[in-house]
Amino acid sequence: MLKRLFGVVPVVFGVLLLTFLLVHLVPGDPVEVMLGESASSADRSQLRAELGLDKSLPLQFVNYLSRLAQGDFGNSIHSREPVSAMLAERLPATIRLALLALVIAIAIGLPLGIIAALRANRWPDRIATLTSLTFSAMPHFWLGPLLMMVFALWLGWLPVSGMESSASIVLPALTLGFGLSAILTRMTRASLLEVLNEDFVRTARAKGLQEHQVILGHALRAALLPVVTILGLQLGGLLAGTVITETVFGWDGIGRLLVESIEKRDYPVTQACVLVIALIYVLVNLCTDLLYTQLDPRVRYSR
Amino acid sequence: MRRFVFLMLCTLLTACGGQQSHDDIRMALAQAPINLDPRYASDAASERINHLIYRPLVDFDEHFRPQPALADWQLLSTTHYRFTLLPDRSPFHDGSTLDAADVAVTYGSLLVLKDSPHTAEFSNIQSIRVVDENTVDFILHEADDIFPSRLIIGILPAEKVQSGHDFSRQPVGNGPLRFLAWQGVLQLERLADGQRFMLQEVKDPTVRVLKLLRGEVDLLQGDLLPELVRYLKQQPEIRVDEVKGSNFSYLGFNLQDAQLAKPEVRRAIAHAIDRQALLREVLVGGSREAGSILPPEHWAGHDALPAYEYDPVLARELLQQAGVELPLKLTYKTSTDAQRVRFATVLQAQLREAGIALEILSLDWGTFFDDVKHGKFQLYGLTWVGIRTPEIYRLAFHSDSVPPKGANRGRFQDAVTDQLIAQGDWRAVSERVHAMLPYVPLWYEGQFVAMRDNISDYQVKADGSWDGLATAKKIVEKKR
Repeated sequence: MLKRLFGVVPVVFGVLLLTFLLVHLVPGDPVEVMLGESASSADRSQLRAELGLDKSLPLQFVNYLSRLAQGDFGNSIHSREPVSAMLAERLPATIRLALLALVIAIAIGLPLGIIAALRANRWPDRIATLTSLTFSAMPHFWLGPLLMMVFALWLGWLPVSGMESSASIVLPALTLGFGLSAILTRMTRASLLEVLNEDFVRTARAKGLQEHQVILGHALRAALLPVVTILGLQLGGLLAGTVITETVFGWDGIGRLLVESIEKRDYPVTQACVLVIALIYVLVNLCTDLLYTQLDPRVRYSR
Repeated sequence: MRRFVFLMLCTLLTACGGQQSHDDIRMALAQAPINLDPRYASDAASERINHLIYRPLVDFDEHFRPQPALADWQLLSTTHYRFTLLPDRSPFHDGSTLDAADVAVTYGSLLVLKDSPHTAEFSNIQSIRVVDENTVDFILHEADDIFPSRLIIGILPAEKVQSGHDFSRQPVGNGPLRFLAWQGVLQLERLADGQRFMLQEVKDPTVRVLKLLRGEVDLLQGDLLPELVRYLKQQPEIRVDEVKGSNFSYLGFNLQDAQLAKPEVRRAIAHAIDRQALLREVLVGGSREAGSILPPEHWAGHDALPAYEYDPVLARELLQQAGVELPLKLTYKTSTDAQRVRFATVLQAQLREAGIALEILSLDWGTFFDDVKHGKFQLYGLTWVGIRTPEIYRLAFHSDSVPPKGANRGRFQDAVTDQLIAQGDWRAVSERVHAMLPYVPLWYEGQFVAMRDNISDYQVKADGSWDGLATAKKIVEKKR
């Protein structure tokens, strides 16, 4: 466990270094962004010195790390707001959206996968397969407006976009959840089909257990292991911000913040967003590993 | 377990924002403002909002002549301007009165800011003196005929400036609209009648249209593809108003490029573009052909510049005269904006007729603009937005204005142009630039507003400003 935790440190350091280098190597100069096209060379040099951009890259990286250690992400170049405040405002929105999308994905994907496995190669399986393939083939930038047309414009049940009402979260969550449910359906089906042929399932049936007890109590638990891995990775992706969905639906999450900061060359915001996203990935994967040990006794025994 | 899932769903759903009133006028913006401190704001959205929250000393009439807004002025000597505040000025939204000290502190604070994009524009100010509570003097280092036209920064309350108030998120001005809140949606209130406004960023153009049709917003202005505007015109509950625009779109050349340095090649490209076809097929209504940066109705504009007629045969001949081997291979850089890419594609097809093989490079805005500023291009397309004064010629074409010291992005060097700019002979400058072709002038893009039929008294302006919000009304049907 401790070894796994310590393993996170070089990953985070690598992310910090890569983000710092990428942001400083892409075209664009924060001083030019801030001062526009009329400033004199002297003004530019002065601001460059004040921001510490006149120093060598290694020294700038050390300064960046020391500020980070004090919880200082810097200020936005454009709005002059503290970046930490911007993150604190945007992150909860992304978490809400990600969790609801996950709930929707599980609610659709898991039952469909189970039905598909239990009725393999029959019409319920074919319907489940067709549904999941359809969902996975639809890109979010297309599915989002389609859902808006149906549920907002034609039926008038939900708002088109924004965050003004409680119901605003439903369409973006459905857009994300549908795509994720397709992956879950396929994974659950494949995994359950494999487990259903295992000896322990045959044993459970031979003991006279009812079919639903065999499936839910024995087979599904084992079949869920690869599903949990996929869910962990997908949740990491969702929490890292879903750029297209957040942009299409006007959802003020961290993915949208990242895209806006890249467009505007708002380097402190870009750096902070990438760092937070990377940390979320690392943490979610750590949690997945821990959950794995709870689901599969063999993982615990082999420690 | 079921109860837990239910509670979690309820928490997720109720964690979203509150409801808006149906009396509010709701506007969808393609781009939200970034900074509501007028000393820092440089993006179009922030400047448009700030023009409603704050009032400047000077504003412009329909011919872009400077007019007193908060103050009238006298030229006491070539370097000494006296501004006298008008008696009928409104107090600041916090209740404090606006006087000469507020003017002095606003501009004084701007002069010492080290990270403002506007500070350099005022570097000619030597000192600012408060004469009395209604009078303030600006002493300049050098004579500047158009100095009053520069004083368009909104005036801030001196006390709040000195206490370090955060105007970027909590603006306090004395304009027609008062700031209420800004949590995702920007809320403003009109002082005259208490009408509230909700301004919300909706980046995707299709979504903006859907929200307007659904009645989630009441109006939107600009930034839509022409087919979406045509679609909105057919909707019975939507009204679309179009006016002539003044924002200037152009095709820029890199004059350090061996081929594009030849005047014949630039003229060939100008003759190879069928602007009438572009206006008809690719642009919104109200768009018109441009001859120079300033529109003809501008006091320094030129309404008789000869047009570069569409003539691909002449274009080919000019290329052959220049000794260019056909097809001439050129690269055109543009942003990823859908309308820009569409224009590039049409341009590519039109230039092919004249023997020019155009490669399109569509880049994200940051990379594209950085390449343009650093001269890493052959051809590029951009638009000048909100141009008020002929000083734009100095910024865009003077030999001393090559980036990073200005916006002469094509590295145009012409002693005659420099001399004419120095003389302030703007008509002659327009003619010279038109003949030398550092830019191919394309069009002034039309402006439009699409509103639900219960919105009235919103006038769309040629520069795309949102000043119509100062007068817009909403008719709300009361429930029985």
